[in-house]
Amino acid sequence: MAQREITKEEIQAVYPTVAQILADALGCDLDRVKLDASLIEDLDAESIDFLDLVFRLERAFKVKIPRGKIVEDARGDLPESDFEQKGLVTEVGLKRLREFLGEVPPGRFRTPMKSADIPRLFTPETFCKVVVRAQRAAQSGA
Amino acid sequence: MAARFSAFSFVDRITAFEAGQRAKGQFAVPAGLSSFPACLVAEAVGQLAAWVAMAHVGFRRRPVAGLAGETRFVGEVTPGQRLDLEVELESCDDDAVAYRGCARVAGEKVLELSQCVGPMLPLEDFDAPEAVQQRFQVLCGAGAPGGGFRGVTPPELRVVDRQPGERVRAAMQVPAAAPFFADHFPRRAVFPGTLLLDSQIRLARGLADELPRPGASPLIPARVTDVKIRSFIVPGQAVELEAQLSQVGDVVEATLTARSNGKPIATGRLELSPRGLS
Repeated sequence: MAQREITKEEIQAVYPTVAQILADALGCDLDRVKLDASLIEDLDAESIDFLDLVFRLERAFKVKIPRGKIVEDARGDLPESDFEQKGLVTEVGLKRLREFLGEVPPGRFRTPMKSADIPRLFTPETFCKVVVRAQRAAQSGA
Repeated sequence: MAARFSAFSFVDRITAFEAGQRAKGQFAVPAGLSSFPACLVAEAVGQLAAWVAMAHVGFRRRPVAGLAGETRFVGEVTPGQRLDLEVELESCDDDAVAYRGCARVAGEKVLELSQCVGPMLPLEDFDAPEAVQQRFQVLCGAGAPGGGFRGVTPPELRVVDRQPGERVRAAMQVPAAAPFFADHFPRRAVFPGTLLLDSQIRLARGLADELPRPGASPLIPARVTDVKIRSFIVPGQAVELEAQLSQVGDVVEATLTARSNGKPIATGRLELSPRGLS
């Protein structure tokens, strides 16, 4: 399903809350949270933090964010076997990720990339987009 | 195995059950115990939620301690009393269960949990799924006999650094062997997060007792927020606990951190209020 692009205004509208939630979930100072920081590499996030983050975002924005939603949306209609093979993201999979995670600086996409390392790409902006998409879905009654 | 389903099991009977949604249960606190810490009441509520979650995913996965957004300590529980437990699942899938719940004694609420999330992991890594499923049938039927819990000896805390009334660090040595490891869990021994929290609260209370509060009533734990358990603690592991106090009016807040090899493994915040203020 083609979705209209998320605007800077939409990101900016949710960013202050997302940044505060990130700082609370990660137990770090708000000024360490930058829009393009890598949550894992710059802010030391671990898997439990992502779980924490998603539940906090759901409560704050009153939306539903299914687990694994980012990768699922990035993959889109691409069959799973075309997206990843033997734990590695395929070339076509990487292309989808680059397009979907346009906020991530290009240098952070490594080849080969393990599927398990995809969360290393996520930034605060990634989660702003997750929230905006969830809000749009809620508004459209999806 | 004598310790199985008794050394660290806090649901004797499931009295109402709505698949994937909610449940009510009971636990009779054995009369012979010297005390029954509030953290074990929280454990009982969490265990009831775990039963609902495990049943929901066909006993393929089980939750482990992860996040506890808010735990309110409302009243004390004494040995010989019966806990009436209640849980409601907010969501549950193969990755995580989110729930809230409470415990009551004689109709009065003694503890309330909200915004709790347990990551779901393969049950077979921790336990024999068939045995767990059979136990569930027993709990949902006539119930288990109860009375098997013999208490837990809290790990000794050795203070390594302290600034009275401000900050304290202590070394906690998790025992290499203890009866509860056979129950938590049979295939993979894990030091329960609620016992860690109990030790952290003990440390923070000791520090709060040093605050100059002439004439004021004693400070007691009122609530714990933002508990996050980052990794498993195993038998024999050396853990460093730290509590740091700040005071706002009558309420004293303690930031709790547990580290192992310098890395944070659990964090949370404790509010201590004068008795009678909640």
